Amino acid sequence: MIAYLLNLAQLAAIFGLLSVSLNILIGYGGIFSVAHAVFFGLGAYAGAHVALDLAPDILLAALAAALIAGVFSALLALPALRVRGEYFVIASLGLQMLATTVFTEASDVTGGLGGLVGIPPPTLFGVSLADPLVFLLVCLGALALALAVVRLLMRGSFGRALMALRDSESAAEALGKNVPLLKTLAVLLGGAGAGIAGALFAFQEAFVNVESFTLDQSVLIMAMVIIGGAGTLAGPLIGTVLLLALPAALTFIPGLPPTDIGAVQQLIYGLAMTLLMIFRPAGLAGRRAGQR
Amino acid sequence: MSALLSMRGLTRRFGGIAAVDGVDLDLAPGIITALIGPNGAGKTTLFNLITGHLTPDAGSVALAGHMIGRRAPHHIARLGIARSFQDLRLFARMSVRDNVLCATEPASWFWQPGGKAARKARAERALAATGLEALARADAADLAYAERKFLSLARILATGARIWLLDEPASGLDPASRARFSALLRDAVADGVTICLIEHNLDIVIELADRIAFLDQGRKLAEGDPATILADPHLAAIYFGERA
Ligand SMILES: Nc1ncnc2c1ncn2[C@@H]1O[C@H](COP(=O)(O)OP(=O)(O)OP(=O)(O)O)[C@@H](O)[C@H]1O
Ligand SMILES: [Mg+2]
Repeated sequence: MIAYLLNLAQLAAIFGLLSVSLNILIGYGGIFSVAHAVFFGLGAYAGAHVALDLAPDILLAALAAALIAGVFSALLALPALRVRGEYFVIASLGLQMLATTVFTEASDVTGGLGGLVGIPPPTLFGVSLADPLVFLLVCLGALALALAVVRLLMRGSFGRALMALRDSESAAEALGKNVPLLKTLAVLLGGAGAGIAGALFAFQEAFVNVESFTLDQSVLIMAMVIIGGAGTLAGPLIGTVLLLALPAALTFIPGLPPTDIGAVQQLIYGLAMTLLMIFRPAGLAGRRAGQR
Repeated sequence: MSALLSMRGLTRRFGGIAAVDGVDLDLAPGIITALIGPNGAGKTTLFNLITGHLTPDAGSVALAGHMIGRRAPHHIARLGIARSFQDLRLFARMSVRDNVLCATEPASWFWQPGGKAARKARAERALAATGLEALARADAADLAYAERKFLSLARILATGARIWLLDEPASGLDPASRARFSALLRDAVADGVTICLIEHNLDIVIELADRIAFLDQGRKLAEGDPATILADPHLAAIYFGERA
């Protein structure tokens, strides 16, 4: 039971990092990406390779993952960010579908459907972090760091500029904001955060394959941000805990056949999203409709 | 007096119609030039061509003798040309203070050049001048109509720009707000700011303008001192829609 809870807590911290990083795009930048799992995946593969081929040093793996996911996200976003908001959603959807195929087919790098197995437990400067409690602390530390960075940036001029372009691109430009540059930086930051989450995930599971980096996953991360409250600091965390606890809680409902859990879960997600958008469009941590 | 901002042959078409059609216009420094004309005359489009929000099909814009046409809007803004929007385009989900602070921060990286204290002071002065200090913590979306108009002006004031392009900034203001608005513009001009003001209300134009340019169907029909332009019966007929 303890092992199960520790595992769940590690996952929550990792997905917290994912939703906090996606919130930079969706919540502060108004950039609706449904490809966040792609950068999660790039980070996971990068981290796994560092661990398998070089050394299972968590700092090294996280850095490599952040770099690769960050650079790729900025490169992929450059052409797409020039199109209007609605089209970016479509472009990112296309990217997600493309990436799923590449992750499946490029088996030399990704291990294909079989994935990369036998990822050794992480170390830090030669000290083992294999103990689940220690690894949980590492994941929480990464999440805390990400929150601190987001808080710092969003209270400063970069955050103001980003939120300004979210609310009106043309007015932001008229105040001297370089909108494509700001969006690229936001995407790079968000991508790097997802990459680090990926590296942690690779160590946590000791195994990565494409199934964790599909459109379903991207939609789940997006739902965490929106249900919790996009553009707030705590919102993505609330959304993450709720959406991760839901399937776990369903397993405890007596008489619910395990095979039906997936369907019930989808029903609850769908219903929750719909009700929320009607009664609390800014998310649980956001302001109520009509609230001053 | 030589022009601070001069447009030559500015033209922009949308499909079949020429929204702005070969317009020559000079903004003389330190005065208020009013841009008037009926709905759809091309006034807003002219602003968009100056600020880079639209690219001209033909013609040029020069700032103090330097060509600035075809640059990105943020480049032009950083040259000291600030504008308001007819539909305001406030940063709705940001606080009033953040709306104004944002206007003092031209860089788009993670840090800003120059002193933070000076920028903050400039933002606070802009809030004070527009009477928005007490509302500084409110979200822009929660402001009343006149307050929104003043926030749009506060952003411009905070940029420190020397050229202001104002698109109907006074429309719908109550008399007290209008007086405050006029005083604000006069103070700016006294500080040497050059203003181009799009305005439908001729009372405001008479009160504030040093010069008037009259636009109709994309073309500049007349330009001159207010008394002459407003006394022209032909222009009055066009303006009040008594077109033959
Ligand atoms: N982005 C656009 N696409 C197509 N047509 C446009 C666009 N912007 C302006 N127009 C057209 O250009 C003409 C001039 O419009 P503009 O908004 O410049 O007029 P205006 O003088 O500002 O009018 P108003 O006093 O109503 O604000 C109009 O016929 C308008 O429909
Ligand atoms: Mg207009």
